[in-house]
Amino acid sequence: MLEEGRKSISVGDYIDLINDAMALIPSEEIVVVGEIVGCRISQGKWINFDLKDEEREAKVSCFATTFKVKTPLEDGMRVQVVGYPKVYERFGKFSMNVEAVEPVGEGALAKAYMLLKAQLEKEGLFAVERKRLLPRFPQRIGLITSTEAAAYGDFIRILNNRWGGVEVVHTPVHVQGQHAVREIIAAFAAFDRLPKAERPDMLVLTRGGGSLEDLHAFNDEQVARAVFQSSIPVVVGVGHERDESLCDFVADVRASTPSNAAEVVVPDRREVWREISTSLTRMNDGLDHKLDRQNQKVESAMRSLRHFMETGMHEMRLVIDQFSHAFDRFRLSLVATRKHIDTLSRLLASYDIKNILERGFSVVRRSGKIVRDAKKLAPGNDITVQFGRGEIQAEVK
Amino acid sequence: MPAKKIPTFAKAFSELEELTQWFETQDVDLDEGLKKFERGLELAAVCKKKLSEVENKVEKLKDKFNDLQDE
Repeated sequence: MLEEGRKSISVGDYIDLINDAMALIPSEEIVVVGEIVGCRISQGKWINFDLKDEEREAKVSCFATTFKVKTPLEDGMRVQVVGYPKVYERFGKFSMNVEAVEPVGEGALAKAYMLLKAQLEKEGLFAVERKRLLPRFPQRIGLITSTEAAAYGDFIRILNNRWGGVEVVHTPVHVQGQHAVREIIAAFAAFDRLPKAERPDMLVLTRGGGSLEDLHAFNDEQVARAVFQSSIPVVVGVGHERDESLCDFVADVRASTPSNAAEVVVPDRREVWREISTSLTRMNDGLDHKLDRQNQKVESAMRSLRHFMETGMHEMRLVIDQFSHAFDRFRLSLVATRKHIDTLSRLLASYDIKNILERGFSVVRRSGKIVRDAKKLAPGNDITVQFGRGEIQAEVK
Repeated sequence: MPAKKIPTFAKAFSELEELTQWFETQDVDLDEGLKKFERGLELAAVCKKKLSEVENKVEKLKDKFNDLQDE
């Protein structure tokens, strides 16, 4: 008999037994590496895929939730999986309950990166419209980077070269390795928590270049979202020019390198000084221009005044000349008239006396004066006697 | 960390920019222009003083961030 020396149990109990036995496997210490095949997501929540061995003919069904696994997955991706083995009693099927999935190798990382990038772009995290402007003259800058990295030194050096008087608030974080993501997210949160008056004008997240694996923190979805949600404008400067990271795309301003980040956040004092000088020159020119115009106005006013005066004088002189000519003529005519009148009056007088003399009277004159009284004459006086016709000289006896 | 000081430089600089614009867009009244020019010189002096600052101060955000440093 089969049950001889054996224990009889139900199917359910048997599956429990298997699951209990598998619980003894130190799953926390194991990462299973394989390739994803037949990946599908149902109801936006449940993820099912097979993890295929890359060499042997072997595969494990995997089950995950989108709540735990945020990395977009795709067939052909090479991943490492952490999870717990389990037999589902309902279907009697063995599968792995996935806790975490991480792409491995450049190819898989690149694929994961492209997928996440597409997803974030669709969500609008890269939208140009939401990018904020940086103040031109920041007073306080929050710096999120590793103290040891060359990035830190480059940033501070270029900053000092260009501008002064800025307060740099540095939050040292790992920029790669297992703590990087958590620390960077916490740094953003710490800046966000600061009272408004203490908040930097901008945050700079920076690190030097590296492989896609090195940059994983800057391509992490949660970090990208932290950049997106930061209440303070964010400048991201990662690596050398050819490197790109998801954080670059989310950032308000993207810098190509840590040095470039410093160039982006502060102006060059020489440039600003030139601008100030130009401003003064322009103001001076404006004033000069105005003065010139005023001078021109005054000059033109003077010119027209002089012109007016000159033409006025000229006209006046003409009038005076005309007047004086006229006056001369008038005076001459006056003289002529007077002469004429004198002649006439003399003529008139002579006619008057002649009439009387014609009648037989005579006029006696002494020294040209008519003598009206005989007593005025004395013997020996010379007199002139005028008759109606002719006159004689006589002496009184 | 103290509250940020009044942004004298940014203020002075933007006022200077405004003044310059005024000179270029307005029909300059001579008296007013002279006043504004004097103001411009003052502002330029303030800016120049700021430009001569060479030091940048670096401090670590310790107090609010030490939970991370301890880990």
